[in-house]
Amino acid sequence: MFVWGEPEGELGINFDHIWQKTLTVLNPLKPADGSIMNETDLAGPILFCVALGATLLLAGKVQFGYIYGMSAIGCLGIYALLNLMSSSGVSYGCVASVLGYCLLPMVILSSGAVFFSLQGTIGTVLALVIIVWCSLSASKIFISALDMEGQQLLIAYPCALLYGLFALLTVF
Amino acid sequence: MLGIPDTSSATYKPTGSKHRTRAAPDPPPLFDDTSGGYSIQPGGYPAPGADVAFNVNHLLGDPVANVAMAYGSSIASHGKDIVHKELHRFVSVNKLKYFFAVDTAYVAKKLGLLVFPYTHQNWEVQYSRDVPLPPRQDLNAPDLYIPTMAFITYVLLAGMALGIQKRFSPEVLGLCASTALVWVVLEVLALLLGVYLATVRSDLSTFHLLAYSGYKYVGMILSVLTGLLFGSDGYYVALAWTSSALMYFIVRSLRTAALGPDSMGAPAPRQRLQLYLTLGAAAFQPLIIYWLTFHLVR
Repeated sequence: MFVWGEPEGELGINFDHIWQKTLTVLNPLKPADGSIMNETDLAGPILFCVALGATLLLAGKVQFGYIYGMSAIGCLGIYALLNLMSSSGVSYGCVASVLGYCLLPMVILSSGAVFFSLQGTIGTVLALVIIVWCSLSASKIFISALDMEGQQLLIAYPCALLYGLFALLTVF
Repeated sequence: MLGIPDTSSATYKPTGSKHRTRAAPDPPPLFDDTSGGYSIQPGGYPAPGADVAFNVNHLLGDPVANVAMAYGSSIASHGKDIVHKELHRFVSVNKLKYFFAVDTAYVAKKLGLLVFPYTHQNWEVQYSRDVPLPPRQDLNAPDLYIPTMAFITYVLLAGMALGIQKRFSPEVLGLCASTALVWVVLEVLALLLGVYLATVRSDLSTFHLLAYSGYKYVGMILSVLTGLLFGSDGYYVALAWTSSALMYFIVRSLRTAALGPDSMGAPAPRQRLQLYLTLGAAAFQPLIIYWLTFHLVR
């Protein structure tokens, strides 16, 4: 007697797609496939945000309000900028999804902060590397999904500003 | 078949997935195959988060919650439509898009031009059939990407500078940001008034003036950075250099832009007024740069 279908299908979460997108984020130098953002899903980003909050909590910083506020305003800003800069529009959910996926390296940074303090030269260098990694992945996905050419660094800069704010939260 | 509640078929309808409506003539299946995913309309205003929520919801099989969610998402999209309509009344998005049609090469060259404008020869904005070329194709065209990014970077840098000097608090940051914004608005209004009084006709719209008055934030960022790295002396040197470069840049750009494509038609007193306007705008820049940055480099 059947009651469920496959559990992932019932929940509407496609684990294979989530894994593909995660792999794209983890390897910022490999060119991305433009079609992976065709279905916007927020399951992965929500998972990463919760993970970030959890690792920050483990490191002793309880700043959820700032995280939510900053991510909402930052997403809104990048949504406006992408709509103005690209020839085709983009939806808010797509922006939030991509930015959430590219938060993964930041989760790695904040889990490192649990074990050793990041204030100091090594911590700063590590934070900078992670910021560059996050913003390069995010801009790579955006330009392949929205078909914008010659603008990767221009998109990477505001993403770097946003992730820099997250890194500030993590380090200090 | 026994054991399947009727409400299961009722809960599928409001989710509105495209491929389910095709199955209507068949007898209702035991369970819907949702593993194939679902398609989202590209570029529209969907509520993708709500789609995930819907699929979680039919596990609970509660039609009331489903109706509530459908109502909520329809309100959300209605709200989005209202916001967009109001926005379109004030800001013509197409004209704004012209200023953001930039690419990396343009931004790099323009930043170089803002710091060292003395060797640039041709300051004319190029037109193609009476329509100005977008910034991608014309280095002299103004853009709004650099001023916006520079403004945001300036606010963040001010926060960092205050943090380094242990004078940081979110209120001070907000004060910094709003002061800078107010000065930009005042300057754009003053320039608009001047352009209105002094020019027969020109292509200088509000966005053009916003762009030109936003370029000073690049100079401000450089001054603050040098001040933080090299102390007070470095700050004053950078201030002097960026101010003179910016003044030269503004005078050369506005002189050709204010006159428009047909420059010989303006009578002599008007031309002198235009010159005074440009010189006044240029002289104002170092003052405002100093005013907005010196308290950061104490």
